[in-house]
Amino acid sequence: MDNLFEPKILTFLCNWCSYAGADLAGVSRFQYPPNIRVIRTMCSGRVDPTQVIEGLRSGFDSVFVFGCHFGDCHYLEGNYHTARRMQLVRQLLELAGIGPDRLQLRWVSAAEGQLFADYVTELTELTRELGPLRASRWQLPLAAVQRACNSPRLRWLLGMDRQLTEKQNVYEQRLDADAFQDLLRQCAKLEYQQALLVEALQDGPKTVRQMAALTGLPVYCVSLRLNDLERTGQADLLEYEGTSPKFRLMAA
Amino acid sequence: MSAEIIDFSKKSGGIGNSHPQGAVLVVGGGIAGVQAALDLANTGFFVYLVENSPAIGGVMAQLDKTFPTNDCSMCILSPKLVECGRHLNIQLLTMAEVEALAGKAGNFTVTVRQRPRYVALEKCIACGVCAEKCPYQVDDEFNQGLNKRKAAYVKYPQAVPLKYAIDPERCIYFKPDKHGKIGRCRACEKFCPAGAVDFEQVGQEHKLDVGAVILAPGFKAYDPTHYESYGYGKFKNVITSLEFERILSASGPYEGHLVRPSDHQPPRKIAWLQCVGSRDTRPGTHGYCSGVCCMYAIKEAVIAQEHAGPDLETAIFFMDMRTYGKDFERYYNRAREEAGVRFIRSRIHSISLADPASQDLRLEWVAENGDKGNELFNLVVLSIGLEVGDNLRRLAQKLGVALDADGFVQTGSFAPVATSQPGIYVCGAMSGPKDIPYSVMEASAAAAASASLLSPARQTLVKEKIYPPETPVADQEPRIGVFVCHCGVNIAGVVDVPAVRDYAQTLPHVAYVADNLFSCSEDTQKSIVQAVQEHQLNRVVVAACTPRTHEPLFQETMRAAGLNPYLFEFANIRDQDSWVHQQEPERATEKAKDLVRMAVAKAALLEPLQPVHLEISQHALVIGGGLAGMNAALNLADQGLFTYLVEQKEELGGHARKVSHTWKGEAVGAYIDDLSQRVLNHDCIEVLTGAEISQVSGFVGNFETTVQCDGRERQLQHGVAILATGAHSLQPEEYLYGQNDRVSRWHDLEKRFAEQPQLLEEAESIAFIQCVGSREPRRPYCSKICCSASVAQAIALKQRQPELNVYILYRDLRTYGRREELYRRARELGVLFIRYHRENKPIVESTMINGREKLLITVKDHILDRDLKIPVDYLNLATAIIPRGLDTLAKFFKVPLNHDGFFLEAHMKLRPVDFATDGVFVCGLAHYPKPIEESIAQAQAAAARAASVLTKGYVEVEPIVSVVDEDLCIGCGLCEASCAFRAIRLIQVPGKGYRAENITASCKGCGVCAAACPQRAIDMIHFRDRQILAAIHAGAQAQAV
Repeated sequence: MDNLFEPKILTFLCNWCSYAGADLAGVSRFQYPPNIRVIRTMCSGRVDPTQVIEGLRSGFDSVFVFGCHFGDCHYLEGNYHTARRMQLVRQLLELAGIGPDRLQLRWVSAAEGQLFADYVTELTELTRELGPLRASRWQLPLAAVQRACNSPRLRWLLGMDRQLTEKQNVYEQRLDADAFQDLLRQCAKLEYQQALLVEALQDGPKTVRQMAALTGLPVYCVSLRLNDLERTGQADLLEYEGTSPKFRLMAA
Repeated sequence: MSAEIIDFSKKSGGIGNSHPQGAVLVVGGGIAGVQAALDLANTGFFVYLVENSPAIGGVMAQLDKTFPTNDCSMCILSPKLVECGRHLNIQLLTMAEVEALAGKAGNFTVTVRQRPRYVALEKCIACGVCAEKCPYQVDDEFNQGLNKRKAAYVKYPQAVPLKYAIDPERCIYFKPDKHGKIGRCRACEKFCPAGAVDFEQVGQEHKLDVGAVILAPGFKAYDPTHYESYGYGKFKNVITSLEFERILSASGPYEGHLVRPSDHQPPRKIAWLQCVGSRDTRPGTHGYCSGVCCMYAIKEAVIAQEHAGPDLETAIFFMDMRTYGKDFERYYNRAREEAGVRFIRSRIHSISLADPASQDLRLEWVAENGDKGNELFNLVVLSIGLEVGDNLRRLAQKLGVALDADGFVQTGSFAPVATSQPGIYVCGAMSGPKDIPYSVMEASAAAAASASLLSPARQTLVKEKIYPPETPVADQEPRIGVFVCHCGVNIAGVVDVPAVRDYAQTLPHVAYVADNLFSCSEDTQKSIVQAVQEHQLNRVVVAACTPRTHEPLFQETMRAAGLNPYLFEFANIRDQDSWVHQQEPERATEKAKDLVRMAVAKAALLEPLQPVHLEISQHALVIGGGLAGMNAALNLADQGLFTYLVEQKEELGGHARKVSHTWKGEAVGAYIDDLSQRVLNHDCIEVLTGAEISQVSGFVGNFETTVQCDGRERQLQHGVAILATGAHSLQPEEYLYGQNDRVSRWHDLEKRFAEQPQLLEEAESIAFIQCVGSREPRRPYCSKICCSASVAQAIALKQRQPELNVYILYRDLRTYGRREELYRRARELGVLFIRYHRENKPIVESTMINGREKLLITVKDHILDRDLKIPVDYLNLATAIIPRGLDTLAKFFKVPLNHDGFFLEAHMKLRPVDFATDGVFVCGLAHYPKPIEESIAQAQAAAARAASVLTKGYVEVEPIVSVVDEDLCIGCGLCEASCAFRAIRLIQVPGKGYRAENITASCKGCGVCAAACPQRAIDMIHFRDRQILAAIHAGAQAQAV
């Protein structure tokens, strides 16, 4: 891109640490690039993955989320939730081909004005290097990521992470944290692929081949996911177009 | 043993006059003073908070991180300071000192002298122009003189009040010219955009009528120049621990870069020298242990390594490692094992300059076994102790408060916050060295003591604001007023304010726009009210400094204008715009427009919210009838609050009945008898002994507890609960305990000799073994009270029978704080102290010597480096204090336990008696092992915190809570699992199965549940999804030119 690209960046700051840190940067006159647009929430744990994606879909080039350091959270452990959620969103962005770096998560305390300014400078530069997002080109994958972020299954797994890996499940077993992460990653992939197909079918029935072309997923993969969608009553077979089966969305 | 037994517990009760004043004077604006002020102001008393410097915050504001949680000190302190600064019932008197006191408890008149600040508080907008223009640089004492500030200055960036001051000692204006005339310079006055500088200001004298006084003036850091051989002040790289805190701090002189003063280069090797000014007998030093330095040195070493990475070498030179507090020993172990901090047991004699060019320093030492050590360090930190400054001694004199030989305020164990003067209380380091949580605890205890003294006058002097009725706006189209602030030149110097104002006019729903020179000024508030009324505005957006400091002000203005305060939105165009984009005015203006557009978009969707008032039961429940429980119940009852006291056993008193004397020598038995009588006879206490709790339900304000008592079941309704269930001591399986009758533990030895004095007369030698079951891998914590207990017993034995051989086998002798006096006395009396290692424990065998039955102890002496064989007649074991099984109680009240099984409080530093679950408090040994005076202080603190809930009569909850859409909710329970405050739960809804329900009284408003809900059935009021999305969409929109 040209040298004049000035990214526009959506930034979430939690009230107690990072917003205070940003204010301290101001009080101390630490300068940073004027590209961020801040939304204050009481806790970074309020930031819903769907809000992050909505930011990218509506025209921001990237999203930064700042929270308290672990252990400093005013709400005890809100930032642990944030960390897991943002990690998942980054995974989904990677699956979508947009790349994880459009979302950045950092911890800044109320005393770290300089660090806040440094992070914003560094991350703004990073977005600049990534270039404009041009959300219109990523309409389908972003819609799919948004849908995946809304998927009850992913949200459930995300929410149960600590319960299952640090405490125990109803069978009094504690799950291995790494194994759980693998599971979450796999799930994210399946949910994303399904969401992609649902989004592809939004404007009318399509054949498997059409969908493969539209989404970039291999034909076999499309078939598998359509199978899942059929099973859960989200899509069904409309007809055959030549040898290729044509699917449509079921009304919710 | 001690010459004079102090007991102020009785004296402080009586009030000379039955009409006491409902106001309290708190001296000192550090964390203790702030806590005491908040506790009192929140329970119906008016507070004058007198602070000597221009801002509150004290030493805690100077610290970088706090042990043992590594919390950022400023982050956890700052909300308390802000709350204090804007509390309607706390009047801050900064730059002020107490001059005189007249009257008596309940009715004092205090004279306070306030020095001129030369800056009008009500005008100063803290823009900093005065400091920028001030030509005179002086050492910045907040940063320990490591950098410079101006003569016009603010104490620190987060100061409360955030107001500048002019230092008359340094300011050029006050320096006479050659003709002896003053009045030169005046740069600050000329440039101040708010006209706040006022050289005509004079000092003021206030006469304040108060019922009680709380002393919380803190401590003075020891001045290490007394140690000439350490070269402090001569060698640039020998610094104090407080200087090191400032170096580590991100807002410190080096912006958080760990560099040394001489060359501003990062050090590769840092040494800490412990006990500088403490545990010393030389002139100019102190005999007592300062109690906090071991932990802060470890913390500084750990944090230094976090800053500099694993290549940094750290070493701590110490005598005894005193990590006696909750989670301290774990912190010590981690520092040693994970962070690789070296611990060297040696007192350094002197520091020498290794090389003038590098300014590196050489330390030489002799290790315990006689080996000599010699190393270079780039930086040496002196762990300086705490002492009482001369000004505090004078203050005590003015008030007639008795001090001990070290200058600390004298207190007794049974009334730990009462001074020799009835109605004057003390908390924090003025009555002995102590750390932050203990100071906070005492502050709450002092508030409780004052509140019980003045309880008839509660609510008599507090102020309440009256507002016009709220205009209903729910059905109206949004009509938004946008007010853009110049903030003098702070915003307008960078951002084109009129352009932002005009731009705002073009936004949807905006009905009125204005720009103001200072939006926070009194007259702007009036003009906002006027605009709201004239233009029928129903939402307001202010684009100005930051909501963190000014949102409450504008919300007040909203209420004055008859609007709901939640119909307000802030656009931060100063702290996060004009101040950080000073070189890019055009883009800063563009950003300001975007931020205003986002704020307007959100404002259009704001809803009026009402604070939720929940009626509560004003009764308290105290569980546990030991020393702590009884004290908590008694204090609540003395404050007029009815209290149930539930005890499992048939008799009140608990473990304290086994203790004969406190470490200060006060008789415990008589005190406990008296205390239980007072509890049993109190009109406001119902004691249930032999009682067992079988069920608990409800939440803050409305608990219901089922108690089985006397074969029947009772339902107790209560608003708060205090858990004071105590602890046990370990029955060990080592050192022949339980096998040989001559081996006993804790107070059994005293009891044996009290019952059979001839046994002591016949005895030749007695030994104590410390840390039995404590500081072990299985139980990695210090039981805190055992060293003092054994040393005190040893002293008593030596005094009764000087020729008796008394041995104490220990690992680190932890007679912390002023208990060091015991250690010194024991050594003088000839008690022999032998140190052993955990890997090489003493061996105890039964044996016969000259036909007498003896115990033979084999222990390796580390100084002689060989095994000693010590025959003794009796062995007493200081066994670990272990938690009772607290699981059931923890589940009943939904409160957590720590890894050792003790209750885990809401915050280890600043909320030492609260749980994260509202309305439940903890005190005594159930929290952690602690001595009697600390248990009592904690009990009184718990009572103060509980009273702050009960005396209101209702629970007010900020309406920023989550809401559940019952139709969308499927009852999966993920929200319940995600909530750290147990503020959301599943309930059965007829015909629907389970549905989530928000418990408004417990909800803190973080929004974690809303972002977790798989069904998107939860929303967060005031931060609703649609409100956030509206701001996102508005922000993404391109500006119409």
